Amino acid sequence: MGADPETEVAPPFSKPSWMGREVAPTLTILLDNDTLQKRISWNYEKPRHFKVQGRIQFSGTPREASLIWETPEKRYILEDLSGYYDIIIDLDARDITFKLHMNIPPFENALDTLFPSKGEYGLIVSSDVAVQSMALQLEIEGDKYGLLGTDQRGRDVFSLFLLGIRVSLIIGISATLIASFIGLSVGLMSGYLGGLTYALIMRGVDVLLTIPILPILMALAAVWGKGLWQLVLILSLFSWMGTARTVRAMTLSLRESCYIEGLRGLGAAPAYILYRHLLPETLPLLLANIALGVPGAILAEASISFLGLSDPRVISWGRMLHEAHSFGAFSNGAWWLLIPPGFGIALLCLIFLDIGKYLEELVDPRLKGEQPE
Amino acid sequence: MKNYWIRRIMSALLVLLIILVLNFVLFRMMPGDPVSSIIDPRFSPEAKAQLRKIYGLDLPLSGQFILYARQMLTFNFGISFLTQRPVWEELASRIPNTVILLGSVLLLSSITGTWLGIKAAVRRGTWVERIVLWGGAVSFSFPSFFIQLLLLFFLSYLFPLFPLRGTVSIPPPTGGVAALADYLWHMCLPVFSLVLLGFGGWALYVRNLMVKEMGEDHILLARAKGLPEGKVIWNHGFRTILPPIITIFLLALPGIVSGAVITETVFSLHGVGRFLLESVTGHDYPAASAAFFLLALLTILSNLLADLTYGLADPRVRFGKRGRG
Repeated sequence: MGADPETEVAPPFSKPSWMGREVAPTLTILLDNDTLQKRISWNYEKPRHFKVQGRIQFSGTPREASLIWETPEKRYILEDLSGYYDIIIDLDARDITFKLHMNIPPFENALDTLFPSKGEYGLIVSSDVAVQSMALQLEIEGDKYGLLGTDQRGRDVFSLFLLGIRVSLIIGISATLIASFIGLSVGLMSGYLGGLTYALIMRGVDVLLTIPILPILMALAAVWGKGLWQLVLILSLFSWMGTARTVRAMTLSLRESCYIEGLRGLGAAPAYILYRHLLPETLPLLLANIALGVPGAILAEASISFLGLSDPRVISWGRMLHEAHSFGAFSNGAWWLLIPPGFGIALLCLIFLDIGKYLEELVDPRLKGEQPE
Repeated sequence: MKNYWIRRIMSALLVLLIILVLNFVLFRMMPGDPVSSIIDPRFSPEAKAQLRKIYGLDLPLSGQFILYARQMLTFNFGISFLTQRPVWEELASRIPNTVILLGSVLLLSSITGTWLGIKAAVRRGTWVERIVLWGGAVSFSFPSFFIQLLLLFFLSYLFPLFPLRGTVSIPPPTGGVAALADYLWHMCLPVFSLVLLGFGGWALYVRNLMVKEMGEDHILLARAKGLPEGKVIWNHGFRTILPPIITIFLLALPGIVSGAVITETVFSLHGVGRFLLESVTGHDYPAASAAFFLLALLTILSNLLADLTYGLADPRVRFGKRGRG
């Protein structure tokens, strides 16, 4: 399997290879100086494409030489090599010239002739002189590939799926971290310091919570460009409001507690109280908040990618679903383009929700006694 | 009561103002102003200046904003870059579809959600409760468009019960009843999928509220009075948690509007949300700005509507007394 997930490895919309034993696989057969013939046993339906490419150099000019495709029933001469000292071979079963040479009507599928039944097939180079150098490649393109098949461009879906985790995790975690930092700062300051400015900010937060965020994100993603980090920034700019509210509410009640009162009496500066006393108090709650916020960010990223507003070069689960939706996964019945990314997103979200719930219970053991949800 | 109304309307106006500012900033940040799309580089500087004056771009930013706000509030959205037609003409045919989608989804999911939530709270440990818990978990973790894609895949492609795309068949059927039936048939899956995704979280909230409420003393008193169980549940339990349910409705509203944007894209509906996406990807700023404004306006209006219901449902508001909470 290639290292680069962008490489095309098999025909578009190949099925996963565990689907149906009869489905033709994708095969490559190589012939060189030492192996003049290779045999395969073919127990599948006929494949989609058949291609032979390469170059043969003989040690002398052969009087009688041919490239032979042997089927269980009959031998076909794919190309007559007689009289050629050095020949480049480029055959494709879709070419009209190839069909004419094989005596196949031009509008018939040559593969019906080339793969008549199940059994042993062979690719053979035969000549009356020795072969000096040869590199021949037979490509049989079938209908199945890899663990999860291929997408509309013939890329391996399984490696795309694995790569997609990266984007979801990077965006989910970093956007939530930044948002939590903003929320924490705003919440602490507005809770402890108060004042008109912060009252206005909190009013703004209330308003932002009543506006649908997705349209704003869409517009921003279109203006600011589609990069990964732009998306992180955009998402974090619009998801700190919940945290700010929670932290503010907590700070408001802590501010009135006796030990903070005492600290103030001792002459502690607000910055000291905020940093050394209020911040540690809110941290456990914040941790749970972060874990619970990650699913939101992951889903938001997936939505934006699904709408096609993400960088097309960055593979993500949302992007995969977008491509499945807009490039004909449906008309090809390619469910393997839908299920893996969708369940991947859901699983990741459930994991973070669970972590968040666990952390919440650690912070506030009273929650544990409640009914399971 | 009067005070409540004044405060609600003031806050709606504030939201409207903030949306206008946001819209102004968002779409003025985009490269190119309305004039640059019609200005030919060969125009003389005087002609360019004249054009900028016509579009009010020579005014200071505050003046531009006031002009802009006036245009927005009178639904005068300018000319679309892509189609060269007034944006309002493009939008007008799409608004009913979005309103119908949003309205039916809000209505259906709140009714089923509330009903199932209460059933789940009353009959603990039955299948109703299990459905609600599962529905809640699914709606919090699965991306909405994924569920919709699955539904589309199974119910429109594998078993073609519903249409794959659009709001009307091509060619559209003639005759009032046939056209209506065709329209409803196309809206079935979008509405159903959004309700399916919406009711879970909803029912979960209602269930939790109701479970807590059913343990309160006044329920015990109602039972002790010998009231039938249905009356206890609906007239005493449900009636008390009605205001917080409306609050949840308010909180869920922006999410539902966002969901509608995605839904319209998945099902290729002829609506405002898909128009927004198309104009954003096509860099058609006047159109995108108008679509965004309309979606926000729809949210504000439904918000006000929910406030109205809240005002009727909460006796503290109805009788003009403010609760302390």
